[in-house]
Amino acid sequence: MTDHTSKSERPGTLDRRTFLKRAGAIGAGAVVASRLSAPGLAGAQDATFRPDPAAKKGGTLRYAVHNAPAHFDVHQSGTVANIGPQSPMYDTLLRRSPKDGQTIIPDLAQRWEISADGKKYTFYLRKGVKFHDGADFTAEDVKATYDRIRNPPKGVVIPRTPLFATVGEIVVIDPHKIEFRMTEPRPKAYMLGAFASGWNIIVRKKTLDDNQGNLRQVMNYPGTGPFRHVSRKDKEIWIMERNPDYWNKGLPSIDKLEIYHFLPFTPELGASILSGRVDYARLLDPVSWRKVKETQGMTAGVFNQSVIQAFWTNMQKNKALADPKVRRAIHLAMDRHTLVEVVKDTAPMQVGGFVYPFHEMSTPRPELEKKLGYQKDPKPAVQEAQKLMKEAGYGNGIKNLDFVVRDIPTFKLWAVAIQAMLKEHLNIECTLRVVQTSVWFDEAQAGNFDLAISAIVSTLMDPSDIFSAWYGKDGPQNYSRWTNPAFHDLASQIERETDDTRRKAMVRKAEDMLEMDPPLIPVSYEQIYDGWYNKVKGQNPSTYFGIYDVVRWDNAWLA
Amino acid sequence: MQKYLARRAFYAVITLLGVSISIFIILRVLPGDPLVAILGVEGHARMTPADRVRIMADLGLSDPLPVQYARWLGDIATGRLGKSFFRGDTVAEQILHRGPISAEIAILSLIVSWLVGLPVGILSAFKPNSLPDGVARAMSVLFIAVPGFWLGMLIVLAMLFWFGYKAPILIVHLWQNPWENLQIVIGPGVVLGLAQGAYIARMSRSCLLEVISEDFVRTARAKGLKEGLVVMRHALPNALLPVITISGVLLGFVLGGSVAVEQAFGVPGLGRALVTAVIERDIIVVQNLVLLYAVIFVLVNVLVDLSYAWLDPRIRYS
Repeated sequence: MTDHTSKSERPGTLDRRTFLKRAGAIGAGAVVASRLSAPGLAGAQDATFRPDPAAKKGGTLRYAVHNAPAHFDVHQSGTVANIGPQSPMYDTLLRRSPKDGQTIIPDLAQRWEISADGKKYTFYLRKGVKFHDGADFTAEDVKATYDRIRNPPKGVVIPRTPLFATVGEIVVIDPHKIEFRMTEPRPKAYMLGAFASGWNIIVRKKTLDDNQGNLRQVMNYPGTGPFRHVSRKDKEIWIMERNPDYWNKGLPSIDKLEIYHFLPFTPELGASILSGRVDYARLLDPVSWRKVKETQGMTAGVFNQSVIQAFWTNMQKNKALADPKVRRAIHLAMDRHTLVEVVKDTAPMQVGGFVYPFHEMSTPRPELEKKLGYQKDPKPAVQEAQKLMKEAGYGNGIKNLDFVVRDIPTFKLWAVAIQAMLKEHLNIECTLRVVQTSVWFDEAQAGNFDLAISAIVSTLMDPSDIFSAWYGKDGPQNYSRWTNPAFHDLASQIERETDDTRRKAMVRKAEDMLEMDPPLIPVSYEQIYDGWYNKVKGQNPSTYFGIYDVVRWDNAWLA
Repeated sequence: MQKYLARRAFYAVITLLGVSISIFIILRVLPGDPLVAILGVEGHARMTPADRVRIMADLGLSDPLPVQYARWLGDIATGRLGKSFFRGDTVAEQILHRGPISAEIAILSLIVSWLVGLPVGILSAFKPNSLPDGVARAMSVLFIAVPGFWLGMLIVLAMLFWFGYKAPILIVHLWQNPWENLQIVIGPGVVLGLAQGAYIARMSRSCLLEVISEDFVRTARAKGLKEGLVVMRHALPNALLPVITISGVLLGFVLGGSVAVEQAFGVPGLGRALVTAVIERDIIVVQNLVLLYAVIFVLVNVLVDLSYAWLDPRIRYS
């Protein structure tokens, strides 16, 4: 294993090769981040988010978002109900820049190095950072946090654990330096993305020790973030105030943050922003969002969400659905543009395949829309689907499929449309069974369905995350019980491939394999509608990915 | 009277025990896993059998059902009513915080129903088959037929798009700010009240029509009393008994209806808490709120029965 740091720190050895290596290693995020902030505001190697010089200080921001978490443990959560209200109280090791939501920049780690073999990540932590209870932040807190994430104690379930599966050891070098030693390298973008995930907030070692590693019922555990807890009323409001001791001097700009609870996509949420009861609303329904767009003095923002909407075909229960030709036929029989249209007044959606359609490694949208199954004219795809059904021996269709539908408006609308498309195009008859969300997951995991429609999320946009969670042989969201040894082998190679060009080619190949042997049937990819009054400055999520990474509000200010 | 009260109290306790056992069993038999809401979709999918055992034990759900039921009865006895599975707050706290809003809505709807229903019923009864009677009957049927949550949504949208107005979004109690409190409760109170008022109008009309054909009303008219006095002093008190009975029954409908209407108006009352708890499968909250509704329903019915003796001297409980 090459320890890049030790070599490069020898004096008098700064030849061209060493320089290039050092430039590549010091702040690999800076490499990933070809969009470093302009010199002058921050040093070339310090892309820490800095206050906008034009920002006004003070004021109260009233923010509406789903704010009724089932518990308070951010690490154990997978819902905006936690990250929405709690994120402003915490920091992460690295973060996505609030300017574009993509570039990885320093946070509690002031800088970092990656060894040449990609097996050691060294983080240099900020000094003088304090938790809200006055305790000093040290590398022990980082170690305790990440030890818990990668190896949760019994009774604690953390969805991000697999991201750190290759972290073999976390070693505290000194109170402000920590090393993550990997058992094998992973692509830098993947690992840095994992460290910058908004879910991986740094909590105190003492907090974890005092609560036996479980914070589900601990409402106010200290963070180092820009805002401090003031009060909370269940399913109503969470109030926070500016942290006067925040390490990032000059931030946050606003004095008080009031986070109001509203369920996503509800008319009530839309009414709250349109009536001026709140300043910023997240997860608006399309009707309210369009009204915001038309309203003077308001801005309507749209960005991509880290969710795929899909339905699964139970390959273990139903012999016909185990046949890749039948599943591809079902895949091709879907008129995706119509499916997006069907829910246009309920939730914003876009057409996509098996990988996020906006990811740099996936098939570009114009190319995708030339492929069967994604074209605006569904006829050629349907003809191919009917041919496949005949070849598979199901030319007369399939009867009595049990279609389990989550009791959520979008899924109910889609289920009816999908039922009609399957009947009309392939003579597949199914009976809809609408169930509550908790029942849906019981049925899906127990395999009590033929078809089942829902949505699943990923932490990262990176294909390796979804290839493992969604399509992995034992992936937790592989409800179809799908296996394809050639794909799993390729996915494993993609996970290890550190060269971006080669990785991209492999991802495209994986996409082709999924097209021919679908593990699920993609319906669409979700988008997020935000609306805000123009007095809210410094926050524009148009290039963000998901609602889980850039949600700290230290960037916002009120005009 | 005391004997009657004791007997009613005994039956009420038996009824409530029956309700508690039913709701306790139903919530544990129904499919659906509360751990989905607690751990989230991804977390639930990654949960190992050992994790499940540990978490179910932490929540007290791995104990035998009789033990869980006994623990619940103990929680009721202490007044804490148990803790939510999720955020650890007690159900008693939720009821104390949200209950007054729902109670105000119920009382307001009752007042509206009487203020609207009785005059309409009287007018219809004394001018039967006239144009006002026809209009009143048509309106009654309309308000009975229209779902409260739908009407609520229309009102919310109309207020928003025409006036840019939305009621306050946080709970404001009457004693904190009466004006803001009124803005929260008036919408659901009126919508629920109009639906109840329609029932009361129809009931009071039919009762009055029956009473005004009685001899004592004819006698009152024969004495030369003005029509208003005949109605208010002689006919109405004798026609009120069934109206009071139906008001007690309607209060049950208000409790049920408030779940949807609170949701439509975005009022953070008990009805909304119940909806959220059902979605989350927070069975401790659900079972306590359902029991609370049952207690109120039983209590109101006892009070209605007792009011008969007060309103009609011919009725005596022995």
